[in-house]
Amino acid sequence: MLKALFHILIFPGLGFLFVFGFFVEYADRKLYARFQNRIGPPWFQPLADFIKLISKEEVIPEEADSTVFKLMPVFAITASAAAILYIPTLGERSVFAFSGDVIVVLYLLTIPTFTYFLGGWYSRSVYSMIGAVRSLTQLFAYEVPLFLCILAAALLADTWSLSGMVVFYSHHLGYWFCNIIGFGVALICLLGKLEKVPFDIPEAETEIVAGSFTEYNGKLLAFIRMSFNIEMVAGASLLAAVFLPFGLHLPAAVMFLFYLVQIIFIVAVISFLRSLFARVRLDQMINFCWKYLAPLAFLQVLFNLILKVVLPR
Amino acid sequence: MHNSEHYSEDVKIPMGPQHPSLKEPESFLISLRGEKITASSVRLGYNHRGIEKACEDRTYTQGLYLIERICGICSHSHSTCFSQAVEEIAGVEIPARAKYLRTLIGELERIHSHLLWLGVAGHEIGFDTLLMYTWRDREVVMDLLAALTGNRVNYGINTIGGVRRDISSKQKEEVLKGVAILETQTKYYIDLAKNETTLLKRLQGVGVLSHEDAVRLDAVGPTARACGVKRDVRKDDPYAAYAELDFKVISVNSCDVYGRTLVRLGELMESYSLIRQIISKIPEGAIAVKLPRKIPAGQAVSRYEAPRGEDLHYVRANGTEKPDRVKVRAPTLANIQSVSKMLEDRYLADMPIVIAAIDPCFSCTDRLIAIRDSRNKEKNTVTWETIRLKGIEWYKGQGIDFKSLNKKLTESF
Amino acid sequence: MNEENIKQELENKFSYLKDAVIIKRKGRIFVAVELDKFDEVFAYAVKQMRFLALSAITGLDRGDAFEVIYHLNQEGRILLNLSVSLNRENPQINSVCPICPSADLYERELEDLLGIKVNGLAAGHRYPLTDDWPQGEYPLRKDWKAKISNQGVQNA
Repeated sequence: MLKALFHILIFPGLGFLFVFGFFVEYADRKLYARFQNRIGPPWFQPLADFIKLISKEEVIPEEADSTVFKLMPVFAITASAAAILYIPTLGERSVFAFSGDVIVVLYLLTIPTFTYFLGGWYSRSVYSMIGAVRSLTQLFAYEVPLFLCILAAALLADTWSLSGMVVFYSHHLGYWFCNIIGFGVALICLLGKLEKVPFDIPEAETEIVAGSFTEYNGKLLAFIRMSFNIEMVAGASLLAAVFLPFGLHLPAAVMFLFYLVQIIFIVAVISFLRSLFARVRLDQMINFCWKYLAPLAFLQVLFNLILKVVLPR
Repeated sequence: MHNSEHYSEDVKIPMGPQHPSLKEPESFLISLRGEKITASSVRLGYNHRGIEKACEDRTYTQGLYLIERICGICSHSHSTCFSQAVEEIAGVEIPARAKYLRTLIGELERIHSHLLWLGVAGHEIGFDTLLMYTWRDREVVMDLLAALTGNRVNYGINTIGGVRRDISSKQKEEVLKGVAILETQTKYYIDLAKNETTLLKRLQGVGVLSHEDAVRLDAVGPTARACGVKRDVRKDDPYAAYAELDFKVISVNSCDVYGRTLVRLGELMESYSLIRQIISKIPEGAIAVKLPRKIPAGQAVSRYEAPRGEDLHYVRANGTEKPDRVKVRAPTLANIQSVSKMLEDRYLADMPIVIAAIDPCFSCTDRLIAIRDSRNKEKNTVTWETIRLKGIEWYKGQGIDFKSLNKKLTESF
Repeated sequence: MNEENIKQELENKFSYLKDAVIIKRKGRIFVAVELDKFDEVFAYAVKQMRFLALSAITGLDRGDAFEVIYHLNQEGRILLNLSVSLNRENPQINSVCPICPSADLYERELEDLLGIKVNGLAAGHRYPLTDDWPQGEYPLRKDWKAKISNQGVQNA
C-alpha cells in the first residue's frame, strides 16, 4: 500500500513528473532558442513561470461554465500522470503492469486533448471555441497513425502489455530495427499530440490568440502548462519504451541514465522539428496525415504481421 | 456568445483592434463558417491623431518633425516627401549631395522595412525561426543607420532644403561592409523562399488579387507589383537621385502572398546594388540650402516610393510661415481596400498572413480605458490626465521627481 | 501621352476648360472645374483618358469656400489634379465610387473631417473619427478649435 502511494506520488508519479517536466520544458526551450541563434532561458525559467502564474489573480469569464473551467486542467494532469504509471521507466516492468495496459495508456494519453477541448468550449469565448474545435479535428488526424504504430510494435511482440513489449524487445534487440518506420511516424504524430509546430494549429497565437486557453489565467494556466510538460514526458516515455528498448538489464542508476538520455533525445528531435517548419493549415495537416502517415503506419502493421509469421520466436 | 444551437450559421469573430497578429490596431470583423471566411469588413481610424490639423498650427520645420513621426518604419519616406513638396512650392533646388544622401537613407530604410516584414510574415505563419533570423540581420541595418543618423528608427536626417548630417569616408566603408553581410543573408532567404515546403504551402495561392482588381482598387507597392502591375514611383516619377541611378523594377505575376514575398526579396537585392552605386557616385558639395521662413503661396503634390508603396503628400502654402493644408495619403490606405477582396473564400488561418502581406502600417492612437466591474456594476472612466498624474505619483514614490529633474538638467547646461 | 497632349485633349473636349488647365511642371497638371461640370470631366478623364488610378482626394477649407481635389494617376507617370470649389453653407458633391471604387475611404474622410455631404455614398462606418464623436464638429474646418475635455469619452 505504502509502495503504491510512493509510486503514485513520488516516482514515477506526480513528484518526479513535476520536476522532470520542468527540466524537459527547459531543455525544449533552450534547444529551440539555440537553433534560432538566440541565447534562451536559464535553467530555472520554467519553475519561475510556474510560481509567477500561481501567484496571479484568477479571472473566470462571466459566461463560462465555472466548474468545467476549473476541473479541466486537473483532469489533464491526472490523466497523463496516470498514464506514466503503466509505462516502464526504470527497468522492464512498469509499476502497475497488466495485460492490456497498452490500450489503457493510449486512452489515458488521449484524455488531455479532450480536456483542452472541453475547457476551450466551455470558456464561451469565440477564440477558445474555435481552438477547441481545431484540437478535436486535429485529433482525428494523428491518433490513427499513432495507434497503428504502437499496435504494430505490440503485434510483433505478441503481447498487449507495454511491459511485456519491453521485455520482448530487450531480449530480441535485433527486432528493434523492424519498427523504424513506426518510430518515424510516431514521432511526427507526437508533434501533433503535443500541439507543437508544425501542428500547433489549435493554439495558433497569431490567428486565435491562444486557442482553447485564451481565457485561462492564474493557477489554472499554471496547471495547463504543467499538463503540457507532463504530457511531453509521458509521450516521450511511451515512445522510448516501445521504440528504443536499450539499456535494460543493467544496474538501476545506469538504467535511469539511459532513460534520461532517451527522453532528451526525443525532446531534441521535437525541438529540432519545431524550429524547422512553419505552421501548416488544418486542411493541409489532415491531408498530410491521411495521405502519408496513415498509409505508412498501415505498411508498418503489415510488415510486422508478415515478420511474425516468417521469423522464428 | 453561445453558438452551439446555431452551428450552421456564420460565426462572427473580431480580429482587432487588439490582436496578437496585428502589429497596429485595425478592426476586422469576419464571418466564419467552420474554417472558411464568408464575409469580412474592415474598420479603420484607430490611429487617428489629427496630424494634418496639427500641421496647420506649426511652422514648416516644426511640421517636419510631426510628419516624420507618422510612422516609425517609413519615417524617412514621409519627411522626404513633405520636404520635397515644400521645396517645390518655394521653387528651390536642393544640392546634389543632399539628394544622394536622402536616397541612401531611403534605401537603407527600405532594407530595414523589408527585413522586418520577412520576420513578421514568418511569425504570422508560425515560422518563428525565420523571425529570429531576419531580425538578427535587421540589427546590422539598424546599427548602420544609428552610425549615420544617430537613431535606429525615426532618423531625423531631413531638413527643408536638404539633409542635416554628412557622411564620412569611414562611414561609407562601414555601409559597404554591412551591405555585403546582408546580401549573403538575403541570398539564403531567397533560397529558403524557393525551397522550403511548409513556407510554400502557407504562402502560395493565398491572398489572391487579380491584375484587374489591383488596377481597379488602386493597390500600390509590392502588393501591386506582385500582381503584375509594374508601378514604381522611383521609375515613373523620379525624385531625389533616382533619375541618375540604374535599377530594375521587380514584378511577378503570381498575384498571391508568395509573389509579394518574392517581390520584396528582389527589392532587397536591388537596394544593395543601389547603395553601392550611391556610395561610388555621390558628388561633393553642400548638404543643404537655406529656405525663407515664409513660403510663397502655391501648391504641390509630392510622391515617394515608401517600402509599402506610393506615399503622396499634398501641401498648400499661403505665404505665411505655416502651411495652409497638408494632406498625407499613406500607402496602406490604398492597399487596405483590397484586403476584403483577397480574403473572399479563404480560410481563417490565412487571415493574418494576408493582412501582413500588404505590410500594414498605421500609427498611434489616443484612446481611453473604461473598467467595468461586473459584480457591482460600477463604471470607472480613466482619462489621460488621471493616468498621467498617477504616473508622476508613482515615480515620486520611486524617488524620481520630474520637476526637479528638469530644473537640474537645465542648470547643468 | 505627355502633359501637352493631355492639356490639348481636355481643352478640345471641354471648351469651358480653356484657361483652367495648368501644367505646373513635368508630371503635374492642375485643372479647376466648376461643380456642375465636374461629373462629366471626371468620367471622361477616368474612362476615356485612362487615368484609372485615384491616388487620393484632398478636401480643404479655403476660408471663402471648400475645395476638393481629386488626384488622378495614369500608369504612375502623370498626376492630373482636378479641383472643385464648394460653397460653405451647404457643401455637397456626388460620390465617384461607381467610377472609382477605391474612393470610398477618401470620401468618408471628407464627410467626417470637413462636413461635406457626399451624395450616393454607401452606408457604413465613419472614418477616421470615433463613433461617439459629437455631431456637427468638423475638425479640419478653419474655424474649429480643439477643446480640451476633462471628462473623457464614455464609451470605449
